[in-house]
Amino acid sequence: MSEEAILEARYLTRKFKTADSRVLTAVDNVNLKIYKGKTLGIVGESGCGKSTLMRMLVQLDTPTEGQIIYRGKDITDSKGKSLRENHRRIQMVFQDPMASFNPRMKVLDIISEPLLNYKLIKKNERKNIAKKYLKMVDLPEEFMDKYPQNMSGGQRQRVGIARALTLEPEVILCDEATCSLDVSVQDHIIKLLVKLQREKDIAMAFICHDVALVQSLAHKLAIMYLGNIVELISGDKINKEAKHPYTKALIGSIFDIGVDQNTQIETIESEAPSPLDLPQGCSFQNRCPHCKEICTIKKPELSKLKGEHYVACHLYG
Amino acid sequence: MLNPQSNKGKYILEINNITVQYNENSPCVKDFSLTMKSGEIVSIVGESGSGKTTVIRSLLGALPEGGRVEEGDIVFEGESLLDKSPEEWRKLRGTKISMIFQDSGAMINPIRKIGSQFVEYIRTHENILKKDAWQKGVIMLEKMRLPNGENIMNSYPFQLSGGMRQRVGIAMAMVFQPKLLLADEPTSALDVTTQAQIVRQMVELREVHNTGIIIVTHNLGVASYMSDKIVVMQSGKVVETGNKEEIIYNPKHTYTKKLLEAVPKLEGKRYV
Ligand SMILES: Nc1ncnc2c1ncn2[C@@H]1O[C@H](COP(=O)(O)OP(=O)(O)OP(=O)(O)O)[C@@H](O)[C@H]1O
Ligand SMILES: [Mg+2]
Repeated sequence: MSEEAILEARYLTRKFKTADSRVLTAVDNVNLKIYKGKTLGIVGESGCGKSTLMRMLVQLDTPTEGQIIYRGKDITDSKGKSLRENHRRIQMVFQDPMASFNPRMKVLDIISEPLLNYKLIKKNERKNIAKKYLKMVDLPEEFMDKYPQNMSGGQRQRVGIARALTLEPEVILCDEATCSLDVSVQDHIIKLLVKLQREKDIAMAFICHDVALVQSLAHKLAIMYLGNIVELISGDKINKEAKHPYTKALIGSIFDIGVDQNTQIETIESEAPSPLDLPQGCSFQNRCPHCKEICTIKKPELSKLKGEHYVACHLYG
Repeated sequence: MLNPQSNKGKYILEINNITVQYNENSPCVKDFSLTMKSGEIVSIVGESGSGKTTVIRSLLGALPEGGRVEEGDIVFEGESLLDKSPEEWRKLRGTKISMIFQDSGAMINPIRKIGSQFVEYIRTHENILKKDAWQKGVIMLEKMRLPNGENIMNSYPFQLSGGMRQRVGIAMAMVFQPKLLLADEPTSALDVTTQAQIVRQMVELREVHNTGIIIVTHNLGVASYMSDKIVVMQSGKVVETGNKEEIIYNPKHTYTKKLLEAVPKLEGKRYV
């Protein structure tokens, strides 16, 4: 089966300069592809560069090095009209949409604004659009008259999802887009996204801390640690075949619903090193139970283990 | 127990049938009641928009503009909180009752070093010298297992990971050893390894300081792990309250059952 990559990151790197002129590498030489009709799940530590990566893919941020390829074309430096067109096709949903909402706009305007902007609807169609999309995300239609600051966290999150869907994008990038929802509404939203993906062949990336959740909708999973992808694995294999010690720690840290306080939650005790102060070699070394000498010297590269399974770890290579 | 002086009533906190409403909207929390002994851990779980945040903000006297408790009473250490003046509230907040948020980093000013914010915070509640407040901050950070507290005090928030920022938030909330710690989705923005650390830390607060904790969470695994009592809310009402055995293993209400069924599991359903 041939798969068509719609959006691609090539050797993407993003460095930030701090106030005291040190350099923080938030995304370090990342390669990944997002395929038509498929979902790439991205899991990792808070602050490991997932959001920066997404922001570059939707062109809200500019890479320090590397390219962004959309339908085979390098769009890294696109501007003006073509940038605007990309923004329409590639939509992002944020964890806290509040930051991107204008607090003086009602939900009606928030949802219909993108369509009006691109002149895809007339002003008098706004209400119908808002109704339709509110219904999709399981909110009552009266919500169109509310202001975002007068809603709960989970309600705002759903408005953000509704807004991103209106443009019927080809690619949707979700950054912790469902973390403030109760599991029942979350399940509803996941089913909605999967359904839309099937109908319209949408390519998706889904950043999520909840490994159990993300494996339920991701065809492939990328595990990120301090700016690098450390493992790439099929969604259905994560539970049994994950190899990287960090991936295993992620799985071991899940609170199963039956656990009690006497159960040992196997997590890693120590903190990740500061991204400003990365050690030589593997960036996971100080937390890894299997750290060997080579791990403190050479940084492991992401390499093929078998089939579609890639891992960056000296234990396997 | 560890805390002999507060034996006024059986409970440190009694919420009696409160109704909360924003502006002229119909009440979004109806007839909510909860009692808590000192050192107890209570989780509030439930539907998005069901009023969980509203309930715990009411306890702190920190509802957003237009929000007010219309009926019922909140009794903390034997005294009604609703009778308190704004000045009395300010004194209580941070000392006897404190709160941590989903992203404590968002609360902390991003362009000021942790240390200066921590010192300022301590000095709003306690009349002490800057250098003593600094020392107190360092000790708190180290108690929260943040190695090298001095270093953290000298950092900007963005130089810390989300988990470390959250611990700074907890350290601030714990300076005055509150009797009651309120936590609104404290781990929703954290990855699971960090979540596990923070959850353990909260359990430890109870063990060491006998702090009572109310945590709002969407993670039923976390609720099940930490809590003595779980409160399930739907559309502004409590639909079921009970201990772990009752709620997780023998849920009675259909909504509780529905929630439990929707919990994602590693070996669970796949949609693709
Ligand atoms: N400032 C406000 N003004 C008016 N209504 C509000 C305000 N804040 C919240 N509400 C409404 O009150 C209800 C309860 O909101 P609350 O934030 O307490 O819910 P929640 O249970 O914390 O939800 P979530 O799980 O999504 O965070 C919601 O229907 C919400 O729309
Ligand atoms: Mg809330």
